[in-house]
Amino acid sequence: MNRLPGIFWSLLFLAVPVLGVATFAVAPAIDVWLPKDVSTHGAAIDGLFYFILALTGVVFVATEVMLFWFLWKYDAAKAAGPATYIHGSHTLEVVWTIIPAATLLFLAIYQMNTWADVKMRRPSMSPSVEVVARQFEWRLRYPGRDGTLGTADDLFLVNDLHVPVDEDFLVQLKSMDVLHSFFLPNLRIKQDAVPGMKIPVWFKARETGQFDIVCAELCGWGHYKMKGRVTVESRADFDRWLESQYARQEATQPEADPSNAVALTE
Amino acid sequence: MRHALPTLTLIGLCFVAVGCGRTPPAYFRPNMVEATKQRLTPDQEKQVATVLLAMFGTPDDPVCLPETGLDEAKLRLAAGPVRSDIVGRKNGLYREHCAHCHGVTGDALGPTAAFLNPYPRDYRPGVFKFKSTERADKPTHADLVRVLHNGIPGTSMPSFALLPPAQVEALAEYVKYLSIRGETELALMRAYFELDDDAGGKLPETREFLVDETLTPVAEKWKAAVDARIPVPPMPADIDLVASIAKGRELFYGDKANCVKCHGVTGLGDGQANDYDDWNKAIVEVRKELASSSEQARGAATSGMSPDELTEHRAQLAWLDKFGKVLDGDALEPRTIPPRNLRHGIYRGGRRPIDLYYRIHAGINGAPMPAAKGTVPPEDIWHIVNYIRSLPYELDGELGADKPMLARDRF
Amino acid sequence: MSRMHHLRLSVAAACLLALGCRAERVVTPGADSEAAGQLRATLVSASSGSTTDAVTATGTGWGSLKGRFVFAGTPGTAKALVADKDTEVCSKGGMKLLDRSLLVDPSSKGLANVVVFARKTGRVKDPVPSTPVVFDQKQCEFLSPVFAARVGQPIDVKNSDPIGHNTNIAGSDFNQLIPAGGSTIYAPKAETGMPTMVTCNVHPWMKAYMVFRKDGYVAVSSADGSFTIPDLPAGEPLEFQVWHERSTGPNGALGIDKPELKWTPKGRFQITLQPDEFKDLGTLEVPASAIGT
Repeated sequence: MNRLPGIFWSLLFLAVPVLGVATFAVAPAIDVWLPKDVSTHGAAIDGLFYFILALTGVVFVATEVMLFWFLWKYDAAKAAGPATYIHGSHTLEVVWTIIPAATLLFLAIYQMNTWADVKMRRPSMSPSVEVVARQFEWRLRYPGRDGTLGTADDLFLVNDLHVPVDEDFLVQLKSMDVLHSFFLPNLRIKQDAVPGMKIPVWFKARETGQFDIVCAELCGWGHYKMKGRVTVESRADFDRWLESQYARQEATQPEADPSNAVALTE
Repeated sequence: MRHALPTLTLIGLCFVAVGCGRTPPAYFRPNMVEATKQRLTPDQEKQVATVLLAMFGTPDDPVCLPETGLDEAKLRLAAGPVRSDIVGRKNGLYREHCAHCHGVTGDALGPTAAFLNPYPRDYRPGVFKFKSTERADKPTHADLVRVLHNGIPGTSMPSFALLPPAQVEALAEYVKYLSIRGETELALMRAYFELDDDAGGKLPETREFLVDETLTPVAEKWKAAVDARIPVPPMPADIDLVASIAKGRELFYGDKANCVKCHGVTGLGDGQANDYDDWNKAIVEVRKELASSSEQARGAATSGMSPDELTEHRAQLAWLDKFGKVLDGDALEPRTIPPRNLRHGIYRGGRRPIDLYYRIHAGINGAPMPAAKGTVPPEDIWHIVNYIRSLPYELDGELGADKPMLARDRF
Repeated sequence: MSRMHHLRLSVAAACLLALGCRAERVVTPGADSEAAGQLRATLVSASSGSTTDAVTATGTGWGSLKGRFVFAGTPGTAKALVADKDTEVCSKGGMKLLDRSLLVDPSSKGLANVVVFARKTGRVKDPVPSTPVVFDQKQCEFLSPVFAARVGQPIDVKNSDPIGHNTNIAGSDFNQLIPAGGSTIYAPKAETGMPTMVTCNVHPWMKAYMVFRKDGYVAVSSADGSFTIPDLPAGEPLEFQVWHERSTGPNGALGIDKPELKWTPKGRFQITLQPDEFKDLGTLEVPASAIGT
């Protein structure tokens, strides 16, 4: 087998950082980037993402360029003399252990506040909705007029979550069968639904619109299509919608219009 | 590692052999349980398959005669493999969303079906449980669309509310198509028994027999569904809910409606556990018949038989063998149907008061739930409905230590 | 042999196993697509006027038919049914409910509950009666194990028990609650073909059979195996279908060896009656092989 020239290998390895950076540069333009953020959590989370991306990006490019340089410079075909062997450099090893460790420690502490905001500082309110994950749908339960979950006036729905805009919204997340994960990409919310646990999830939506709910924990053959829809709307619209769904649920006469869904427009 | 390469090649070849092969085009599987039960010969099976191909087409290319009353455009949206058509609309909806449970033929023998409890619906007998019509009538189009929108809570049937309405309509139409096809197939297979002995074991392939006498009665029932809707007198708006629930409780435990006999004195559905729904009962009965005929035939003394009797005996044994294989491959393991646990707050056919009214008034077609129509007057049915809706939240019954878990702790 | 060789052999064996081990479904003959295409062409074209296949009435007068079924085998002891609900009524005084699928009179060997009905007749003597005929249930058992009625004839479905029942006639629109001591009138709207099963869902061991015929020419053999069908149209060939619950024939058809009546394995025989003739078919022996265990 002919050995490919060293220059080939070094250029090949140079392609990695080049293509890597190029992909990231192009991605937002071709819509392969972070989903649209409509949450108050979003700024902090996205900011962290960019910061870590920048930090690791710089280190990545530097490391790869160094790799390329060494491949190029010390190509056996061109090198002047034989390689020399050293017993390692203690200083170097200490340096390149301490610096990354310090960086990681810094990151860990830097993100603690954001984590606490999203996962620990629960707003003191009663749940706005109970979401029960089930193979392969999201069953929703609104507390109804009395504001208490678990009473006779609860509103039961499937896959169609409505949220009033600019208001704290607290979800009580449960699972009926196996592990699922309640993932609202546009609200930067992801929480595993663990069978047997009631897990609070909260957010505040800043903009109206219709967004996805997807399942982010493999739960069976239908995991890929366990999709729901979250609609963020004004408080007035939300109240009106709640009333109309409640009236439907309490129907004692057949509906004039039998169609029951608010469908996506195509 | 000298031997690594031959071994790896061998393993690779094996994987290729197991996995490679062209997938055959989708085809409608005949109703083998009925065909074998009716003792159809291979020629008769072929005739049924040919007639059905002529009348209904294939899973990729559906045909619907005008007598069915179906919209062929909607069927084309739902039929065939998943792909986009020339205007960019999604086709193959049934195969994408439904076939893995309900089967390409609508026979509930899809690859997922055996793992589900309860089993998916077999459309072929034309019996549907959750509808707004009287017991033995077909569901209306709106009933089918409602089931697609809401799913069936407590079962594996999901909600398709997020599909565009045009796709939901196409799926409902295709379900009707599979049901009409399945019922026509059953009627054709049963018609062989009714043939006069001089007909040569062949059904007449005339328009009069196939369309007017076989297809049209099936299709007419679907068209007539809208007229068979249960008339629901309104619940009085000023009804005293507490009194109504108390009255409903009396009726629930009383002799007229007899609810506790199946749903249990605690409403947990533990009143009985050994009845079957129609689809499973059909298999249970067939198995019983098979077992008794089998015992009879295998125990027969062959030594004293004439040549004719011997041929008949061998044919009987061959039929019994075939039936055994058919029950293995073309039927699901029968399961009993437990009465509904009313304390859960999960109502399969819908949780609206009117849905519960439909269930009580007409019973549930295909299930043991009987009709209260004629025995329980409408205002009493409303009282029972109100009581049932209060059951998941009933805080203090006379149950004491046996108090069932409340819906809010159990969802 | 080297270990490697063993390994290769077992891998090959496993692959062959994987190839072969798929659940086999019974092979069915495919459809004939050419014939289907031609057939479709005829079905899609508009139909010409259809001819009904009603039997043209040819004769005058009326005759009657009677006979007696006997069972040539040994019936064995009837199994007890598992009656585990409402035991204070259903197993009152330790009484056991027995399976009634094969009822043979011990002295005369008569086979009860065989159904005989005329498949098609050209004329009918009497109109559908308006007086209801009673179908009752008591002590958690349907009093008539096999019950015949005419299409359109009112059936008084009664419940003479102190507990509620429901009566579920398979294949019909009737599955109704019947409270204790209550009753409801049901008029069947369609012929059954072969008899259909009737059950109670509250007490699932309860079973009976019902057969509805338009012309009413149907009889159920009594305890000693005898049956009579009066007022049959004379002068036309009549074909009768015979059925028994435990028959090994298709759909319960009872085929016996009686070539002089042209008795077929599908459980049918043919006869033409003269006016005012009372034809006695005599003793019709049902062999043990015709009845399942």
